[in-house]
Amino acid sequence: MTRALFNRDTAISVGFFLLLGLAWEYGVRWSGVQAYLLPPPSAILAELWRSRGPILAQSLVTMTEVFWGFIIAVVLGVPIAALIYFSRTAKRTVYPLFVALQSIPKIGLAPLIVVWFGYGLTSKLIMAFLFAFFPIIISTLGGLASTPAHLEEHFRALRATPLQTFWRLRLPAALPSFLDGCKVAMPLAVIGAVVGEFVGSKDGLGNLILTASGSGHTTLTFAALFAVTVLSLLLFYGVAYWERFIWWRAA
Amino acid sequence: MSAEISITGVGKAFDGRKVLEGVTADIHAAEFVSVLGPSGCGKSTLLRLIAGLIPFEEGAILVNGEVVTAPSAAMGFVFQTSNLLPWLNVRDNLLLGINLDAGAQRLDEAALAELVETLGLTGFEASYPHQLSGGMRHRVAIGQALARNPQILLMDEPFGALDALTRDRLNMELLRLWQRDRKTVVLVTHSISEAVLLSDRVLVMSERPGTIIEDVRIDLPRPRDPSVTREDPAFGDYVVRLSKLMGVA
Repeated sequence: MTRALFNRDTAISVGFFLLLGLAWEYGVRWSGVQAYLLPPPSAILAELWRSRGPILAQSLVTMTEVFWGFIIAVVLGVPIAALIYFSRTAKRTVYPLFVALQSIPKIGLAPLIVVWFGYGLTSKLIMAFLFAFFPIIISTLGGLASTPAHLEEHFRALRATPLQTFWRLRLPAALPSFLDGCKVAMPLAVIGAVVGEFVGSKDGLGNLILTASGSGHTTLTFAALFAVTVLSLLLFYGVAYWERFIWWRAA
Repeated sequence: MSAEISITGVGKAFDGRKVLEGVTADIHAAEFVSVLGPSGCGKSTLLRLIAGLIPFEEGAILVNGEVVTAPSAAMGFVFQTSNLLPWLNVRDNLLLGINLDAGAQRLDEAALAELVETLGLTGFEASYPHQLSGGMRHRVAIGQALARNPQILLMDEPFGALDALTRDRLNMELLRLWQRDRKTVVLVTHSISEAVLLSDRVLVMSERPGTIIEDVRIDLPRPRDPSVTREDPAFGDYVVRLSKLMGVA
């Protein structure tokens, strides 16, 4: 079945956001709110176009930070979740440790991390990682634990080894939950990177927001915020794309 | 003739509550034996003990003269839920048991095609479980157990969740398969007519703690066919007798 590009539902969505934009535009104009307090969308769009060069460049910086932070969170998070799942010792040591670490406000950690790792990529990457790490551990753990008991028994009846049961049953069974975790973690990684940039950086969208608002350039602040939102959405849908490869989540 | 499955004085308790007590039975090679009992009588537990899936405290179970301690390749288990892996297609689900067991005999393409044909799944090899009907999923589950060519087939209410019509059809196919291959089958069921239709013997179990209260030989002519066999007056007599034993008539 082919799907029409503009069916009723998309028309409703597009109409809604168009209406919202118009309300903002004319609300600002008619109420006489100054542009340095709240610029109208038309001014923000114009600014986006005018500053497209720097905005794209800074977006790329932030995206790199987010990407690597997220990847490291997955690469470390999944094995650690598996360790916690399989080892009673890890469940009583590593798991409470990460829960405790998660309870530390990470925004409060940002200045320390900048002091330790400098103003460059590393500190932002670590911030993105810190924000993304926990949801990935929790969702992987939840996925592993949600392996249906009747399938585990079935694998025992088929005389599968523990390793086979892990690779062929528990891991695929955990994938839907893991992917949900990734969908939560990705936007969090963006927040982490931007927070890192706020606290200490030479570039990135967070840096752009900070310098633009510091110099009273509200329109550019909004344009940069818009770019962060778009970046976050793109990365989110980049993760959600993989859902089509785990079609069994509903089955 | 020595028994292929020999169960002697078996007892099992979960959390101090007796589920099975003093279960004793012999099942011979190529026999089709049903275990019939009210729900909660421990008949599914008994089947899991035979399969080596759960340990037990009292008595002994011997399969081919050896004490059962763990699942063995000689036995295939068909579960109540069809237990397919949702991320594998029909073909890979059928081959799962073989692929998991390095020692298992491989199934060549011709043998696989024959199995698929026997199960009435031709054309569905590449389909995934969520694309199949409930009846087809159960056929795949049975096929998965058959693919390893076990000597004994243990079936735990394999058609319990299906509608009567589908259940009848699958029972007929099961009969046909059994009449062809003559494997030993132990079928757990709570359907009296299903037990009579399929079995050489029906072991009737009591309420919990379950024990075998009667061993009824079903002397109906084979090959059997649901529509013909059910018309046999002897069929009705067996059903009445078993119903009385079960306390439902």
